[in-house]
Parts: sequence; C-alpha cells; structure tokens
Amino acid sequence: MSLPARRLPKDPRALEELLRDGQVRRAPALLPRGPRPIPTGLAALDAALGGGLARGQLHEIVGPPSAGGTALVRAALASATRSGENCALIDPGDCFDPAPCGIDLDRLLWVRPHDPVQALRAAEIALEARFALVALDLGDVSVLPLPRQPRGVVQVVRFEKKPPSPGASPWARLARRAEKHSGVLLLLARAAQAGTFASTTIELERGRAQWEGHKGTAGRFLRGAEAVGGVTRHKRMSPSGPLPVHLPLEPK
Amino acid sequence: MKIACLWVPELSLVSALRAEPRLCAEPLAVVQAGRDLGGRAHVLGATGAAIGVEPGQSLAEARAICPRLLTREASPERERAAAQAAREAACAVSPRVEEAAPGLVHLDASGLESLIGDDRAVARAVVAAAERVGVRAAVGLAGSKSVARLAARAAAADLTLEATSSGVGGGAFRVVSMEEQRDFLASLPLYALELPDELHEALRRFGLHTLGEVAALPPGPLAARLGTEAALLSRLARGEDASALTARQEPERFDEGEELEWDASSVEPLLFVWKGLLDRLAQRLSARGLMARELVLQLRVADGSWDERALDLAAPTREVAALLQLLRLSVESRPPPAGVRAVRLSAVTTREVLEQMPLFGARGASPTQLAAAVARLSALVGPERVGQPSQPDRWAPFAVECGKFAPGPPPRVPIAGPVEVSLAARALRPPRTAEVRCDDAGTPFLVIGEGALGGRVVASAGPWRTVAEWWTESPLALDAYDLELAGGLLIRVARELATGTWRIEAVYD
Repeated sequence: MSLPARRLPKDPRALEELLRDGQVRRAPALLPRGPRPIPTGLAALDAALGGGLARGQLHEIVGPPSAGGTALVRAALASATRSGENCALIDPGDCFDPAPCGIDLDRLLWVRPHDPVQALRAAEIALEARFALVALDLGDVSVLPLPRQPRGVVQVVRFEKKPPSPGASPWARLARRAEKHSGVLLLLARAAQAGTFASTTIELERGRAQWEGHKGTAGRFLRGAEAVGGVTRHKRMSPSGPLPVHLPLEPK
Repeated sequence: MKIACLWVPELSLVSALRAEPRLCAEPLAVVQAGRDLGGRAHVLGATGAAIGVEPGQSLAEARAICPRLLTREASPERERAAAQAAREAACAVSPRVEEAAPGLVHLDASGLESLIGDDRAVARAVVAAAERVGVRAAVGLAGSKSVARLAARAAAADLTLEATSSGVGGGAFRVVSMEEQRDFLASLPLYALELPDELHEALRRFGLHTLGEVAALPPGPLAARLGTEAALLSRLARGEDASALTARQEPERFDEGEELEWDASSVEPLLFVWKGLLDRLAQRLSARGLMARELVLQLRVADGSWDERALDLAAPTREVAALLQLLRLSVESRPPPAGVRAVRLSAVTTREVLEQMPLFGARGASPTQLAAAVARLSALVGPERVGQPSQPDRWAPFAVECGKFAPGPPPRVPIAGPVEVSLAARALRPPRTAEVRCDDAGTPFLVIGEGALGGRVVASAGPWRTVAEWWTESPLALDAYDLELAGGLLIRVARELATGTWRIEAVYD
C-alpha cells in the first residue's frame, strides 16, 4: 500500500513548522551527522564496527594476554589524542608503558586506582568530566563477584572488614554515564564483564608469534604476533567474521 | 578623582557571624577574654537581638541584661580572614586599592562609571562584592579619602544584619557628590571623628560641636591656639584633603582560620571545621575568578607549635568536596603530634583558565571541569597516582613518571599520520620474581612463575645486556630475553647479573 504524495508548502516557515511537528522528516542522508566515531587503527575492524568506536557507548575488548587487547586500546587512545581530544586511562594494574606508541601523552590522564571498585568510580568521574575516550584496563583484575559456593560446602566466616563492593550494577551505571556525556568507554578485560550493557564486544584470540633470525643466534628477535579478532556483539549491526590482526613489535 | 571607602564596622562580630550566619537573628555577643570566660571578659560587639548589650560591658553585666545571651570568643584568625575578604571585595571592583587598616579599604573609583554606572551603582557594587565574600560593609564614595571615610561612617547608621548564603549581609552606602560635600561636612558632629581627647575637649570648651563650625573659623589662628592637629581638622572641615591614594601591590593571600574551643584529637571534628573554612575560601576564590593550585594546612597543636603541611594539588580547583577529601587523606596519613587548637588554611592561587567552546561539534570539558575531575580523582586514589604519564630519561626498562595533567587547547589541525596497531608491553610493577631454567647454552627453556606467568618456553630471543646507571645508588645490570611460552604467551624476562635472580618485567599484549 502506498500513501499519496503530499504537496509540500513553499513557504519556508510552514515547512519549518511541519519539520518541528514531525509530520515531515528530512531524508537520513540530509540529517546533520553525529560526532565522528573513534577509529581503532584497524580498517577492517572499523568497518565491522560501523566506522569505529561509537560515542556515548560502552565497548568491550575481551581476549587473553598476548592477543592484542592492549594494542587495540592504545591505538584508540592514539587516534583520539592525536585529533586533539582528551582521554583518560584507568589502569588499576599500573601496567602502562609510555614508550612511544603514537599517543599524544599531553592529552592522556593516567589514573592508577588501588582496586577495581575505585577503578569503576574513577571511570565514572572521567566520563562525567567529558573525556572523549575513557579506557578502563581490567586486564589484570576482575570486578566480577566470586562464584557462589555450592550447597553443602562449609565456609569459614571471618569477622573482618568487608572489601569494597562495586555496587548493584556498575556497568549499567557506566553505560548511562557514557551515553549522557557522549563519551566512549572502552573496557579491556580477559573475560566478558559488561554483558548486555556493552554496545559492542570485540573478541580476540592469540595467533602465532613472529620471530626473525635463526634459533640460538644473537640476531634473533621478536618481530610481532598474529591474532584473530572479531566483533561478536553489536547492538545495531550483525557480528563480523574472523578478522586477521597483525601486531608488529617495535624493537626496544 | 573619586574615592570609595569600604569599612567593616564591628569586625569581630561580623567575622564571627560570617562563620555562623544562622546566629544573625539570635542574641549574640562577641567577647574578648582569655581561656577563662570570667567576669573580666568584656563585650566587643553584639547583634540587634541582644537588646541592651553594648560594647565595653563586662560579660556579667551583659548576661544580667540579656539572660539568653549567646557568646563567642573573639578570634584573631576569623578577623584576619574577614579583613582579607574585605580587601578582596575591593579588588574585585577596582584595581587600585589601599588597605588603611584591617577592615578599612580605600579604592580608586575614577573611571568606573563606564564599566559599572553612576556613583550610586559603583557604591552598590562595592557593597555587593563585600556581601559575596560574606562581609557586611559600609561604603562611602566621595572626592577624597577623608570625606569617603566620613561618608562610610555615616552609612554605618543604615546597616542591618542579615544572614546570607555566604555569610553576613545588610550593607549600606552613602555617596557624597562635590556639590553636597560642604553641606555634608558641615552637619557632621565632632564626636564622629575620633579626635584625640584633649583636642575634642578644647573644641567643646570653645563651643564648637560640628565640622561646619570649625570650617567657619580662620585656620591660622586655630592652628596657633590648638596645634597642628587642629589645622588638619580645619582643612578636613573645608574638604581640603590632598592625600593621594597609595595603591600597594600586596601579595594576594587567601587565608581562612578558626580557633577551636577544645582540643580536636580526631579527624571528624576537624572535617566539620575544614568544611566551613573551605566553603568561605571557595567563595572568595570564585569572586576573584581564581583557583587553588596549592593548599597549605596549618594546625596549631596543644603545645603552641604549628604543624604545617602543603598539599600540591594535581590540578587547580576550588571544589570543596575534593579539597576536603585531600585534607582528610593528609591528616590520616600523618596525624598531628597532639590535639589541635587552631586551624588555618591558605590557598596559593592561579588564574582560572577559560576556553572558548566550539560553536559546532561536540562540547568537551572546560578547563575548570577538567581540573575539578582531576582533583576528585586525586582525592579518590591519591594525588601521586593521577597525572600525565611520561617517559623519564632513564635506562631502567618500562620506567614511567607521572606529572601534572595540563592539556593545552586542541590543535587546529590533527597530528598527521596513520595510527598503527602494534604489540604493546604491559609492564609488571614491581617485576615478578620467577624461576627460570636454562639449558647448557644459557637459553631459557622453563619459566616457573606465579599464576599463569609460567610454562615451557617454545621460542626465545636474547640476551640483550643493559649495564647502566652505575653512577646511581641503584645500578642496573641485567640480561633481557623475549620468551614465547607454550600456549602463546609472550613475556619479557630479565636476569640480574649481580644476584642471578630472574624477574618477569612485562607481558606483551
């Protein structure tokens, strides 16, 4: 069924009125474009994400060590800082290496919380302060609660001070903060943490390491590594297939 | 030339009410006494609700007149802060300011009409500036310093006492134009001038009671009979004041202090006091468009000595909650040696950075918002754990420094060049000690480390020897290896040459 075409008024004021009421809408191509997403540095991954890391959303990178998760976080930080945007790196593991990697360090705020709960609160503060990209590096820690003990297991209870708790739903809170302040929250973890509150989930798997030179000789060195990545969850697009990720290593 | 005079009458009372504005409507007297509020204590000032209580009365008399009388001891710390606040209020209106005495400030009001308005608007602006920092002031505006001061004294009769969000309000002003100056001076009684007692008595015996009567006499014979002070009085009575305003560029100090009536030996009561001090400090800084880049906390302990500590803030701020948390962290990490009897907070200031927000495109954080966020993060995790990372000029592997985060304005053109994804090192700080077994050729083949940091070595490269920093107390001498463990984990290990111990320094990711 097709609706009859409506003759639009020529008076610009009447047209504006119709646009305001929602009776007439602009074609999507003519809509003012939203802020540019932050590229990850990998063209294939950016294409699978719809242009990069969309603003106002929580993105999650999941993968084991040596699969390139830290490399992706740094590339996103480099993209954002080089375009003049301020970024924050929440690093409870105190593992950031400031060796030259393309990040404009003048625009990077490095926060080293003592525990994951502080890290979540620090990320919230950074998002409220309108940092363009807040990278939360939980590569060495986890905020997931301990698994519940099965029935029948005797547990020794000590009367000690309770460890700080991350609260009822930290990821929902952080996702709301990211949306409200139009910031990108990029979470790096070894296992999925944010669940359905993550707008996109990028999973990485280890590949082969690349060595140069003969075994046992002095000139042998690590050239880099191969990994396999993919967007396994995206709220607006279909998951991507496996994407090869080449990770060269600059010799130290 | 136009001079305005900002005067804070009853400075001790105003400073006490500035700390506790809710007492404005209560019968309150500020008394001067030592530690014992005995019968020798006397009243310095009282609120309007303390009916019949006058300055100069002893405390016993005052209590007999007003049984519900509340008392507060005069605090030099509070008075000093209130006088500073009055000076800042004057500086907020005019750049040329002279502080004649605590709570008495002259300011050059010439040329302000184009910025603020006519004389009445300027005087009103000075009153409002004083109220913004919590001080009730009487303001006079005239053609000379002496007449402006007399006008301020005349305005003091119209003062009221009102509690405001920042302290005490109810200021008043009096403008004396050149045309009405003669009439204004002529009507002033001599007792309003604070003359020496002998001169006042002599003038009274001559039958002189107002300045107009003094002005009518010839100055030469008056000076011959009553001395040089009478000559000065005669010139003042005719409005002949040639004294220039001497604006001194005094160092800006933002202090707030409080003396406690008891010895505070824990953090909680101090937090209560600090909150009030920081609120007032933040209002003063906000009125001047300044932010604190350093906070100095001074605590006078029971033996009379001062415990001083400086808090170098990670970023300039005037956010009270963050500053309060930093003060708490400082005192909890290093408690004072004894109970605290007085507290003084001083802010070292810097100019608030304002930045033009983009007309098109996403709105980022303003410098003030950024500074507040950095201060909040510092309060959360500690100031030494927040900042801008940088690579120090050292040989130690994966060394890092944390400096102040102070990003400049964004560049007009983004930094050129594509961003490359490269394998990054996750430094282990401190490095994890591990047991590494090597074959006969010295090549590692097994790593036994904590958790997942261990396994059979499937590929390796190295060693790369580093011998450096031998000129320091912690020399560096190690052999580094890159290892691939079974399962694909890539790590950087090093063996210390001096001890032979192995450590895992980083994981490639």
